[in-house]
Order: sequence, then C-alpha cells, then structure tokens
Amino acid sequence: MSRLDFNCRHRFPSGFEVDLAFEATGLVTALFGPSGSGKTSVLGMIAGWLRPQFGRIRLGSRWLDDSPAGIHLPAERRQVGMVFQDHWLFPHMSVGDNLGYGQRRRGSRPPIRFERVVEVLELEGLSSRYPGSLSGGERQRVALGRALLSNPELLLMDEPLAALDEPLKLRVLSYLERVVAEWNIPTLFVSHGQAEVRRFAQQVVVMEKGRAVAKGAPEEALGQPTPLGWTHSAGPVNLLRIDGAARRGDQWSGRLGGQELKLPEVHGAPSHPLFVRFRPSDVTLSLEDVQGLSTRNHVRGVVGRMLELAGGFFVAVDVGQILWAEVTPAAVRDLGLQPGSQVTCLIKTRSLEVLG
Amino acid sequence: MEFSAAEWSAIHNSLRVGLLVVLVSLPPGVCLGYVLARHRFPGKWLLEVAVNLALVVPPVVTGYLLLQVFKPAAPVGGFLGRALGLKVAFEFPGLVVAAAVMSFPLMVRAIRLGFQSVDPNLETAARTLGAGWWRTFFTVSLPLARNGVIAGSVLAYARSLGEFGATVMLASQREGNRTIPLLVYALKDRPDGLASIWPLVAVSLLLAAGALVASEVLERKGLRHESA
Repeated sequence: MSRLDFNCRHRFPSGFEVDLAFEATGLVTALFGPSGSGKTSVLGMIAGWLRPQFGRIRLGSRWLDDSPAGIHLPAERRQVGMVFQDHWLFPHMSVGDNLGYGQRRRGSRPPIRFERVVEVLELEGLSSRYPGSLSGGERQRVALGRALLSNPELLLMDEPLAALDEPLKLRVLSYLERVVAEWNIPTLFVSHGQAEVRRFAQQVVVMEKGRAVAKGAPEEALGQPTPLGWTHSAGPVNLLRIDGAARRGDQWSGRLGGQELKLPEVHGAPSHPLFVRFRPSDVTLSLEDVQGLSTRNHVRGVVGRMLELAGGFFVAVDVGQILWAEVTPAAVRDLGLQPGSQVTCLIKTRSLEVLG
Repeated sequence: MEFSAAEWSAIHNSLRVGLLVVLVSLPPGVCLGYVLARHRFPGKWLLEVAVNLALVVPPVVTGYLLLQVFKPAAPVGGFLGRALGLKVAFEFPGLVVAAAVMSFPLMVRAIRLGFQSVDPNLETAARTLGAGWWRTFFTVSLPLARNGVIAGSVLAYARSLGEFGATVMLASQREGNRTIPLLVYALKDRPDGLASIWPLVAVSLLLAAGALVASEVLERKGLRHESA
C-alpha cells in the first residue's frame, strides 16, 4: 500500500490551477519544478492549511481529505509535520520551547525522544537561545527538530535547502539524510535543485504549471527534457554519482560505475557517495579512445537519446548513469552519431565540480 | 500638598474609572481586534463603523445618547435598575460607561494593529504542530500581539482619565460623583478656583506619565528576546 495517495484540484482566484495526482511509495519523495509551479500549494493541501476545492488525500489508511465525502481534517489532527521555507520559528519562545511545542501530540509511532533529536541535529547549547539570534542553518535545524518532535507520520519540507549557500547546503543535506535514516519517517520535499533531488529522493514528481509532467525514479524522471524547461534554459546539467572516492598518490579518483574517474582535489573528508557536477559542453565525444591527450578522463558508453535544443545537440550517453554531452549538429553528422553508437567521453578533470 | 475631600474623591474616582474601563473593555476589545485583523465577512465595514463611531461623534452628543439609553425611565436603564439594582445615569457606573464607550475605538484599533503585525504563517505553523485554535491563540497570536494589547490598554486608560464630554452628560450631577476633569471644570468658576486647580493638574500629569512608563517597561520586557 502506498504511504501517501494524493489527488487534488484547486483553482486560485488568480486563475492558476493545481491539478495533480500522485502516489508516494518510497521513503523520500521530491516535488520538483520551477518556482510558481504549485509545489508549495501541494504541501499546503497535505498539511491541511489549504483546502482544495476537490481533493482526496490518504495517508496510510487515514483519509486526510475526501471532498466527495465531506472530509477535511484540520491541520492539527493530521499528524503531518511541516518544515516551512521561512521556518516560522516562534520568535517569543526559546529554542527549547520551540522544539517542545508540538511534543504533546501522541501518534501511532513510538515517540521521538527530545534528547536524541538534539543530538542528531547537533542542537546542544542552543536550547536557551532565541530564534532571533540563530544563523540560517541553525534555524533550519531547529525547524526540522520541532517538526520531528511532533511525531509526524509524514514529514513535509518546503525548499529545505533553497535559502542556504553551497557549503551549508551540503551540511544540512547530510542532517536530512541522518534524520531519514534514524527515524524512517516518510518524507515529501519540494525542491528546484536537481542535485539534492537526485541525491536524496527515491521518487520524484516533476511539476510544471500546476500539473505533473513526469513521475518516477529521479534518474528517469529528471532525464526528460520538456519538464525541466530545457527548451528555454541552458539545458541539462550532469550530476554523476561517484563511489569510493579517495586519494591515490597525488591524485583523487573514484569509480563511475565500473570505470575510474580522476577527480580534482577534494577538501576535507569526502562523503560516500560523492557527486560531481559539470556542464555538457565540457564533454568531448570521440568514436575511438584516443591516447596521448592531456584530458585524463576517458569514459566509455553507448549513445542513448539525442535532443536538439536551443541550437545545440544534447547526446545522452549511458555510462551506467546518464551523462549528457553537448555537441554541434555538424559533429553529429560527421561522426555519424546515433542511438547505439559506442563513444568515449573525454572530460577534463578541472571541469568537474565536487559536491559533498 | 493637602487635598480636600472633594479632590480626594475625584482622584479616587478617576483612578478607579481608568482601571475598570481597561478591565471591562479588554476581553471584548481583544476579540474584536482579532476578528477585525484576521477575518473577512460580509458586513464587516458596518462593524468597523459602529466601533469607530464614538471617535467622530461629538462627545456631548454621545453622552446625550447614552443618557437616553441609561436614564431610569428608559427601557435599558429601567431594566438594569430593576433586575440588577444597577443605576448608571448620574452614578459611578455612568462614569465608567461613558469613559468605556469613548475609549473603546482607540483600544480596538491598537489591538487590531497588534494582531495584524503577527504573521499568520506562525499560526499555521502552530496548527501543523498539533495545536488547536485555542492553544494557537493563547500561545502564539496573543503573546505576539502583546504590544498592541498593552498600547490599547494605555490608550484606553489615558482616554478615560481625560474623558469629559460624554461623562458630563451621563454622570455628573452630584458632588461626590466627579472625576478630575469634572472637578477642575466645577472649580474653575469659583472665586478662588483657578489656584486650587494646580494640585489636580499635577496629579493628572503624574497618572498619565505613569501609564506611559508602565507600558514602556512592559513592552521592553517582551522585546528583550525577539530582537536579541
């Protein structure tokens, strides 16, 4: 049985309409899409502060909304925890009081212990402080802790990483991963960052203009060009998973599927797995494996889909994961590239950006 | 400084009126302020007009209307007298009623602004944490609107201390039933009156300044954490 079954339709006075149906079966599900696509409204309907004109929302075996049957559970009885983008910590309460605010609620799950939340989210020493004196990352963790301690059966997070700068983003992401691993709480989060969706979610619903345009595993759903608005932006971004990253001699490297990838210097302890990001235009395709180049990374793969977008050609190369290369139409013609072609992708180590 | 019996009675009455008006007006003032800040409903403008009427109508006219309602021969005044033994017109309750009616719009306005300054998202957050309407109101909305409530109370108290026009119509026909402004007015026409007004002026200033200081202290106490 799915954990969350969502089917709602709501038209706002502005004329904007959300009409969405999806089932969340995995532990972590992402709602992905550009801003203004209706993602936050969907969270509002699940949390209970936005009542859809038509809606059926089931969490486990409980109906949160069933408009044909006249059911609309008030927010306080849903046992759905929400971490807001702007946190909304109570400014007149200490961090400790904020954390404990929702604690009196008893759910069907074994209660989450206050001390353990403080430990996992590293909130020691913050208890007597007030939200006004916290940094952005601290606020994020307090908001997450507060939602967790209300013992939710489902955790909603609205752009948990959007307001944070890059290094902080990675730290908070690792907190989120810890939380999900520790308490096993089904989580639905809203994001417009591909990197965090791929790293954190098992399932993704891609939204545009209030509707789902793709659903499924991140690899698959995020590989579709139209939903991501590539037609009017820079196109796809490569984000590949690297296992076993380590320094070997004076060079960092890791495994990309079965092949080795040389990495730029990794600062601090590398996370496992590690992700690298690079632009499709930084990839050179070659029909043969050419030796004697200064470009160190030669990754072999098979051409999959080919898309013509914004004056360029994007070639999806299956190297175990999907790797996008941008080439000119002339190059496609001269090399005779077509789905099924065996190619080598040449990627300069310097063009790789290591994430976490 | 020596006060005569009449002066003591006026000071005593003024203080009692000020405090009673705040106590009596606060519950309905908080309710109305919250409703006006948070809810939209048909006929809301009518409610706003009704609340603010006393601000624009000449106080003497308001006093005259109150007298028509509360005089013993009128239905309301008669009922209160018979059923509760409560005489409003020309008695101490009249001082309170007149001051309360005149200061109520000021109180509601300040409290409403207080609630409007509370982001409704904080209330939403409380609800998702399992708090029902009452708990949300008393733990989030009201504490955060505190400064508006304090300001509204101080305004109502100060307005009550100064109330004259409606009070003179509804309540002031008797020697012992005077507040400071009413006594000042009565003294003014006596031969030695003008000199004897000074002590009352000093007390008025003191009471008003005291209210301002109290509100400042209360607001600062609440603000300490939030701006830290």
